[in-house]
Amino acid sequence: MQCPPQRRTAARFVLVIGWLLSGACLPATNASPAPGLVGGIRLDMLPQGWRDDRNQAFALNDLAGRRVVLTMAYANCHRICPMTINALKDLQSSLDARGEQADFVIVGYDPDNEDAATWHQYRRSHHLPRANWHFLSGSHDDTEQLARQLGFSFWKYDEHVMHESRAVVFDARGLLTAEFGPDTRGWTAAL
Amino acid sequence: MRDTMLIHTARAARGIGLAMLLVIGIPSLARADDADRIAQLQKQLDQSIKMIDQLAARVRDLEAKQAGAAPTATAAAAAPAAPAAGAAAPADVARIDAVEQKIAQIETANATRRPDDTGLPMHGFADINFGNHNPFFPEEKGFALNNLDFYLTPKLGDKLLALFELNFEVDDTGTVGVDIERGQLGYQFSDEATLWVGRFHTPYGYVNTALHHGVWINDALRRPKFLMFEDQGGVMPAHTVGAWLTGALRGDGGKVLYDAFVGNGQQIIEGLVDMRSGGNAHGKPIYGGRLGYQWTSGQLEGLTLGVDAFDSRIDDDQLPQNLTEVRMYGAYAVYDTDRWEHTAEVYLFDNLGIVPSTGNHRSKAYYAQFGYRGVPWMIPYARYERALLDQTDAYFSGQISGYSYYRSAVGARHDLNQRTALKFELANTHYTDRDVGQFNEVLGQIAIRF
Repeated sequence: MQCPPQRRTAARFVLVIGWLLSGACLPATNASPAPGLVGGIRLDMLPQGWRDDRNQAFALNDLAGRRVVLTMAYANCHRICPMTINALKDLQSSLDARGEQADFVIVGYDPDNEDAATWHQYRRSHHLPRANWHFLSGSHDDTEQLARQLGFSFWKYDEHVMHESRAVVFDARGLLTAEFGPDTRGWTAAL
Repeated sequence: MRDTMLIHTARAARGIGLAMLLVIGIPSLARADDADRIAQLQKQLDQSIKMIDQLAARVRDLEAKQAGAAPTATAAAAAPAAPAAGAAAPADVARIDAVEQKIAQIETANATRRPDDTGLPMHGFADINFGNHNPFFPEEKGFALNNLDFYLTPKLGDKLLALFELNFEVDDTGTVGVDIERGQLGYQFSDEATLWVGRFHTPYGYVNTALHHGVWINDALRRPKFLMFEDQGGVMPAHTVGAWLTGALRGDGGKVLYDAFVGNGQQIIEGLVDMRSGGNAHGKPIYGGRLGYQWTSGQLEGLTLGVDAFDSRIDDDQLPQNLTEVRMYGAYAVYDTDRWEHTAEVYLFDNLGIVPSTGNHRSKAYYAQFGYRGVPWMIPYARYERALLDQTDAYFSGQISGYSYYRSAVGARHDLNQRTALKFELANTHYTDRDVGQFNEVLGQIAIRF
């Protein structure tokens, strides 16, 4: 027995929607560092004048000799940044399981609306108490320069910050060695 | 005749020459700064290459010395001499590699440290809709273009701000129109106060200044009907042309949000509220404000409560002309966290019919929407909205969409990637006064940002 044409059309519609929802139509890549940045940027080339979430001065050079995972975020983001922070939490768990150490640096995109107190509250409400997690805010110029140097593209749409889920990794020598983006699957495996 | 031709030819040649000069000359002037910077980088690169050449020359000297020493040595000593020479060369090659790497780093750092003066970035939004009705013009069905929205924020300086939102939109007749939805110039006195002049989204409630024209921003497929933009079925003065002072005062555990604005009183033209971008005829203003409090810590973190109001004398293009004093008082609540997105707004109107003198008219409109972000691959939402608009009030009766209705809707957003959202909504709408009837909608939307 054949389906009526309307049902076949409906079935095709459902299949197409299912395929779209499954994400199968989207390309996914493994962690593949961008050749333009990897090896070309060192931690000491980045702006250094930051404040941490205790409102203490913080220089990225303070992390020399340690592996650093750096991302950018904004505290009021409820769509992209929670994904990034969860991915970093997974990275932390993976490192713990392997007995390895790293520092996690989160730099705020939006100095107008985020200060040390904002990030302090963010740390508390998102249950991120570990001392190797650093929430930094800085000046407009330093924020924009860091974003430019590390390839974090963002733009502001009024109070919204348009950005993507992304992180970069510096090794103990301070060299940028890996880059994870929205199409990277398996940040944990790639570290 | 020939002379005339020669004159014309000479003029044409001069014209072409002048045009070429302009074509070549103007970009050259514009790129003068870049040229200086490139020259500086070129100088650094030349110095680095010079250093490499010096090192390479030193390697050649070393190799020559070692090659010269080898014949004078005994056969027995010659054997170990070859590995020694071979060991010296890789060491220098490694040093050269290190120098080259350093140069690459300097180049990368210089390139990325450069100020972002390479032009005005082009960002924006677009969306395409499909379903058994057009989500904004329900009399239409099928596939529908909605917005192509360009967002420009040219940098004028540290304190001087500019914002333009240029929108290509399709209206209910399928015609593409272009509109400067927002055109604002501002001065930021501090983090607590910014003054804008130009055309802006009137600061009332939550949706009108949070979601703007980029549909991608909204987790729901569309705004509540009465809060849509003026040409999409909304009944509020969504845009104002005037001045707007806005800011936030931060304190322990929260911040006070405030807005105050004044602008041209709107006019109803061809059944739509028009913001009178070029000024209005009667010179009456719209003025109002909004005051809210946002909790940023504690048990109520993510909650914002606020009140708002505006007053304006709004006339229309009818003969005889109607003039109404529109007085709106409203309140809003937002609970916005990583897990929940709940919003509710209420608007109470106490309008006064001035011409003709029809006395007071009370109307109200409200909605509540509940969204859940806890599911990783979708954001489901449900919304109920209601508008009870007095049809003897010239402000509402003069508007094409100024009728009463109620609508229930459920929907979901799925992000195909971080720049593309796929949304669905099922809705049931009842019209309850000017027209009476109901219809169901099955709607889909692909919304992008770029």
